[in-house]
Amino acid sequence: MDQETWKLVLEYLAVKENPNSSNAEIKRLEQKLSDWAANDPDRKEQLEEALLLWEDTAQLPDDGSWEESFANIKQQLDAAPAKKLKIVRWWPAAIAAACIGALIFFVTGDKKTLIAPQNAIAWTTKTAAPGKIVDVMLPDSSEIWLNSGSSISFPQNLKHADIRTVKLSGEAFFKVKRDPTHPFVVKSQNIQTRVLGTSFNIRAWKGYNPQVTVLTGKVAVSRDSAGVQSAAVHLLPNQKVVYDIKSVRLMREDVEEAKVSIDWRTGKMNFDRTPMEEVFQTISHKYAVKIVTDQSFKSCQLTAKFDNVEISEVMKTISLTFDIHYTINKQTIYIKGGKCN
Amino acid sequence: MGENNTAGFNDDQEQKFDEKTFEDLYRRMYPTLKKYAFYLVKDVEEAQLILNDVFISIWKNGTILSNEKAYLFRAVKNAATNYHKAPKTDFWHIDSEEEAPEIIDLKETPAQAFQNKDRNRILYTLIDQMPERRRLIFYMYRIDGFSYKEIAALLDISVRTVEDHLVKGFEFLQQKVLKNRSEFR
Repeated sequence: MDQETWKLVLEYLAVKENPNSSNAEIKRLEQKLSDWAANDPDRKEQLEEALLLWEDTAQLPDDGSWEESFANIKQQLDAAPAKKLKIVRWWPAAIAAACIGALIFFVTGDKKTLIAPQNAIAWTTKTAAPGKIVDVMLPDSSEIWLNSGSSISFPQNLKHADIRTVKLSGEAFFKVKRDPTHPFVVKSQNIQTRVLGTSFNIRAWKGYNPQVTVLTGKVAVSRDSAGVQSAAVHLLPNQKVVYDIKSVRLMREDVEEAKVSIDWRTGKMNFDRTPMEEVFQTISHKYAVKIVTDQSFKSCQLTAKFDNVEISEVMKTISLTFDIHYTINKQTIYIKGGKCN
Repeated sequence: MGENNTAGFNDDQEQKFDEKTFEDLYRRMYPTLKKYAFYLVKDVEEAQLILNDVFISIWKNGTILSNEKAYLFRAVKNAATNYHKAPKTDFWHIDSEEEAPEIIDLKETPAQAFQNKDRNRILYTLIDQMPERRRLIFYMYRIDGFSYKEIAALLDISVRTVEDHLVKGFEFLQQKVLKNRSEFR
């Protein structure tokens, strides 16, 4: 049977099975088909065979392939309603996932489970004052460097939690103690970062596109909106993901040298075609100053390296680059004029 | 077609999901939805994660959807959009009209299956030998009851391409069956 006839057969069957089709329409197509078969017994047989094929493909034989997959989901769901006590029950799922080679596994959207410990257990918050960088050792032996003006919160029982959940505001570099059975999750503005044991930098300043840069290991980052996570973007060393607040998308990029992303730990500032808005933000955190400009610098970009120098040195360079005038008054820097080059 | 509708569940009183309903939904939707997710992201694990996310979210939502099928496929499509494909898979997406050659695994040719006379099972063994996209279209049309137009929209291809794949799919089935007629009947 040729393709044109098959088209006709499919059209006829679709019309026939549609309860809204008119009898006239069905008859018309039926006629067309019987015209095609006419007095040719071979064609008649082909047509019969075609209609049989249609019938015999109406149902999918159940091969049970869905069962394993469903069991997995069910395990995650069973954990959800029973807040505290049943939390333990979902981590067999985590082990199973690890076993099939899924190094990173998410109980995405499992808000209840993740938040439950908060109700019962005390949380600690550490903050790095403006101009200061703080090194924090977490109860599970993970180490965190907090950039100026950032803070981290973690539960007292972090070491024994099924999921090691911490919350970050600002920027921090993480060296997570490896523990494949207890995933480590960082919640920060708009995004959630999930790892087993790696080192990575999270930059999540309020009002700016958050980003995660990986130095070692594997990391999964998902969008987090009110506790519901999107599908994750997976990152390998020397990759980063930027969450674009405007387009609500996670964008993965390669970076030449991931280590640059943690230069802030040693007081260095590295700008590589960095928008001025971000440059000012970095300066204001590092030197604990407020920057007031009378011009939008959003479109200008700066490429420069500062090796732990005085603020006056930094401002001098910027003023030469963009032809600006500035005055420093206590902790505030006022900027006038300027143009991109 | 369209046998998977939600007739009887559409009452305004928002009927609650129970576990059985949820399981049934999962069983019905899994075969095609999983293929669809894989088609979009080209990664088995990621496809599985997307699928799980979508089902977990509807379970949490707790109510039966009025058009669950359309909703689920759209939700999977949205989730897949957030997944960033490697350049290689992008390339795979570009070769839109030309399918990969039909490589039929002869080991799988169901000589034994023919003998057990289970036509339905045999046919799906054959369908599973079709090229990936053709197979997906076949499932979406025949199992999930989507129209040409709906399939075209979900796969971002033309209606003509959908029809073409279906016709070639059925043609392939017919040729196989006729060839094996003696064993088949």
